[in-house]
This record gives sequence, structure tokens and C-alpha cells, in this order.
Amino acid sequence: MGFGQFLAAPEHKVTIVTYRDIFQSAVMEEGRFSEEYLKLSAVIKMDAADIKKLDVKVGDTVLVKNKDNNGKVIVRVESSGYDSHSGIAYMPNSPWSNALVDADTGGSGVPRYKNIEAMVSSAKGESITGIDDF
Amino acid sequence: MKRQSMVILLNENYHVCTGCALLCDDIEVITDGKKITEVKTACRKGVSRMKGCNEPMSPTVDGQQVDIDVAISAAANILKNSKSPLIFGLGNSTDGAQKKAIELAKQVGAVLDDTSSFCQGPTLEAIFNDRIKSCTLDDVRNKADVIVYWGADPSNSHPRHLSKFSYFPRGQERQRGWEEDRTMITIDIRKSHTAKISGDKFYQIPLQMDAEFIDALIDALSGKVPKVSFEFDPKRILELANILKKAKFGTIFVGLGLVYSLADMEPVVRLMDKLNEVSNFHLIPMVGHYNMRGFNQNLFNETGYLNRVKFEKGNSTDVQHGAEFSIVESLNNKTVDAALIIGTDPLSSLPRSVAEHLLDIPVITIDPCETFTSRKAKVTIPSALSGVECGGSAVRMDGEEVKFEPIIDVKDQTIRPSDEEILARIMEAL
Ligand code: SF4
Repeated sequence: MGFGQFLAAPEHKVTIVTYRDIFQSAVMEEGRFSEEYLKLSAVIKMDAADIKKLDVKVGDTVLVKNKDNNGKVIVRVESSGYDSHSGIAYMPNSPWSNALVDADTGGSGVPRYKNIEAMVSSAKGESITGIDDF
Repeated sequence: MKRQSMVILLNENYHVCTGCALLCDDIEVITDGKKITEVKTACRKGVSRMKGCNEPMSPTVDGQQVDIDVAISAAANILKNSKSPLIFGLGNSTDGAQKKAIELAKQVGAVLDDTSSFCQGPTLEAIFNDRIKSCTLDDVRNKADVIVYWGADPSNSHPRHLSKFSYFPRGQERQRGWEEDRTMITIDIRKSHTAKISGDKFYQIPLQMDAEFIDALIDALSGKVPKVSFEFDPKRILELANILKKAKFGTIFVGLGLVYSLADMEPVVRLMDKLNEVSNFHLIPMVGHYNMRGFNQNLFNETGYLNRVKFEKGNSTDVQHGAEFSIVESLNNKTVDAALIIGTDPLSSLPRSVAEHLLDIPVITIDPCETFTSRKAKVTIPSALSGVECGGSAVRMDGEEVKFEPIIDVKDQTIRPSDEEILARIMEAL
């Protein structure tokens, strides 16, 4: 994947909070390797104003990388539909969100699943990180 | 045909859904003898679960399909040759399988952990040690007048929670139901589907501010003016405190949103103590996997710890416990050299950077379905789907035991033994 080409795109800092989605959970029960599971998992939900700042539209692909730069995924951006929450983004719990979670737990054994610091930038035209890319 | 199906349906007993730790016990199904073709009553996730996955796992060694006995002896060999094996999972296994896994962990001197290690472990620990008052879901249905969902969104995680137990039923002492007899509060960082049902009883707080909000609430319950560092009308905190104070039977359902936001359970213990000084409150953790609480209870009964233990090989009384024996730290510190994963998918559910060590060590997976972990495993052993292909017992999120029978005629299914049977056979092969 050509991550390099997006370095110049505007980046937006977000804290990602993971959540559960019943449609995605149900599809996971059917199988983790389906297109449908990818479609419902490889998603980031952002504040509408934040999406605008990235110069992308709902449905476009964005690059999300974590603060230590050791986890990167390309996912589809969606509007959260919630009242203004600039700086906070949401991702369903999945291998895509888990690619971004820090290994360092300060020895507690509990990863920060609901508090992931990351940068988001446009990856317009790039394809979503596939299951085999993990 | 349709009419005939209906007759079958009405003559069927109710079944138990193992899709989550609510263990709904009112499920009706239609089967063709081998597979469940229709599921009634269950939620979306339950239906998918009971119908079975599209990618059932096969017995394999090094990616090659083998006879299940070959896979079982290969698994035993890995465990025999390991100096420090990890046994992880079991939240989707019956009590019987969990007890077998504890025996196996003792036999091989394993680190034993489950998903509670990075989810509801702290809440359950506080309940097991009687630091927090709990109750059953039946109590909630029959008596609860104030229900609080804190950092939880059952509309997505446990879809029948509200309709079966908490908000909508007309319970013994709550005959006027949600319209008059119950108040439902949601405290969360976002207006989740559950929060929408709470209407104006939704309290939105900023990320990571739960501990501060708890202390402000305790102040309000103590008659002091509540203060928080973020923008929040103190009048609304006082209003909330007032509802909680007046509760005859209150229950707080704790979700991962709250657990992950706290360094430890102390703020929750403080709040529960205060609430029980001025009111009558209980707490139930929103456990995900259908028998995670069972695993925690079984291990606690045996060792006094609910997760994160290491047994000394062959010495059943010698057990160590601590964060260093959590799956996350065991993998981070590379202190385990083989892994037996039962009914869970750490390559999907753990941070990628943590789970990576699993790619360097021999992994055995026992699961009904293919998972990210099974696709990288050295040995895979297919097992029966609990509640459909095998029976047993499990512990619901509130601590109640639920028994279930297999739905499918298991005599036909020799290819998929239960987790318990597989573990017993691994122990024999050792
Ligand atoms: S709420 Fe849980 S136990 Fe009940 S039907 Fe849904 S998945 Fe099954």
C-alpha cells in the first residue's frame, strides 16, 4: 500500500473510542472473513466538521495511523450523526480498530481500547485495508 | 409445509441462546435434524449464532487437514514440549469445559487467563469479594424502579436486555411498566441507541471523566453542591442524585465504557457505598461472552483469583496471580512459548501489536468456526457449538446458573466433540 503519497494531505488528530454495533456483531457470528464483515468493520465515524477539515466526503477512504506510527489502516469515513464532538471519532470493535491500539498498557494488562490517539488523513481512491493485510 | 413447521415449533421446548451472557432461555427453533434452519425470539446476534457460521473449522495440523485424533495428539505434543504454555479463552465454553481447562492448566503448569482480564474482571472481582452489592436479573424485572446504564449500550451489545429484564417488562412489583413504574438513566460519552431510549434522562459526560462525575454525584447524594471541571449544569447532577435517592430498588448496569475509563474500581465502590447509605442499589456487569462469568467463578472457587494465574507444573496448590500473567503482558513480555486458545479469537480482539507474539509460537485453537487466530494456528480442533451441538451449564451475567441441552442430535456429529471432551482427550494424550 502506498501510504507515502498521503503525507502531504491535511491530518486531523482524533481520539478514537471503540463501540459495539449489533449488525456487525451478527455478521461476525456468520463468519469473520466476509465482505459484509469488512464493510461493517473498516469504518471510522467522525464529526461532520472534522470530515470537512480533512477535505474528504462521507464514504471516502481515510488513512488512520496511531500516535507511535506502528499501526495504520485505511477505512471508510462516515458521519457519526451525533451532536458536535470534534476531536473524538468512533470505530466498531474489530481487527481494524485493534491495529491502532497501543501494546503498552503500563503493565496493567488492559489496552486502551476506548482511548486511541490517532491521526486521520485523506486516502481518497485507496482501497480499504483488507483482512489479508493484517 | 408451513403448517407442519408451526406444529413442530409449538411442540419444541424452549432453548437457550449462547450469543451473549444474557443466556435468553425462551428461544424456539426449527431444525432439519442437522442444522437449525429458523430461530424465533432471539435477537439478530442470537439468530446468527444459533444458525452456525459459514466457515466451520476443520481439524488441521500445519494447515493440512487431518483426522481429529491426529490434531488432538499434535496439541498434546505442543503442550508437552512447552516450558510455559498459555491457556486462554473459555468464555464461550460450558462450566464443564472450564473446569477441565483448569485441571489441564495445573497438569502442564500453564498461565491461564480469559477475556475478563481486559474487560469486566475488576467489576466481577469486586462483586466476588462482596465489595459491591449485586442482584439477579429476575430481581430487576420484578422490582427495579430505577435502572442506570453506565458506559453500556445494550441495544447493540445485549439487544434483549431492556425487553426481557430491565425496562420494558411488567414485573411483579412493577405492573405499570416503563410508562409509570420505571426510570431508565443512561450515562455515556455519546448518545447511543440505548441513550435515546432514556430520553431526557441521558447524561452525557466527556471521555475519561467518569471518576470525576462519580465524585460529583457522591457530593450531590451527600447534600453538597456538585462540581466538575467540565461544562455540566450542577442542577442536572442534583436532579440525577434525587432520582437515585428515591429509588426503592435501583440497579446500575456497568459497561466497558465505565470500566475502561477508571484506573480501578474504587470510585464505583465509593458510589455504591454512598447509594446504599441513602437508597438501595445493586450493580450488574454487562458481561459479553456467554460464560465468561462462569470461568471467573470456577477459577475463583478453585484458587481465590478470577483470572491471570500461573500454575506450577504438577503442583496443584502452587498458583501465582498478577498482571504479569494476563494474556496481554504474557504476550508483550514474551513469557509464554505456546498457546491453547479456546473459543475466542485474540488475533482479532487484542491489539495487533500485542497479538503478534502469537505468530512466533505454536498455537492450538479449539473453536467451532474459523477465526483469525485459527488461520495462523499450528493445530486446529473443531468443537461443538454450545447450546446447539452440546449441552452443559453456564453462568449468566448476574451470576445465575443456566443449564441447557443440545438441540441437534449429537450422535450424528462425531466430527465435532465438545470443548470439554477435547480437553479431556488432550489430557489423556499427555
Ligand atoms: S440478547 Fe444475547 S442471549 Fe439473548 S438472544 Fe440476543 S444474543 Fe442471544
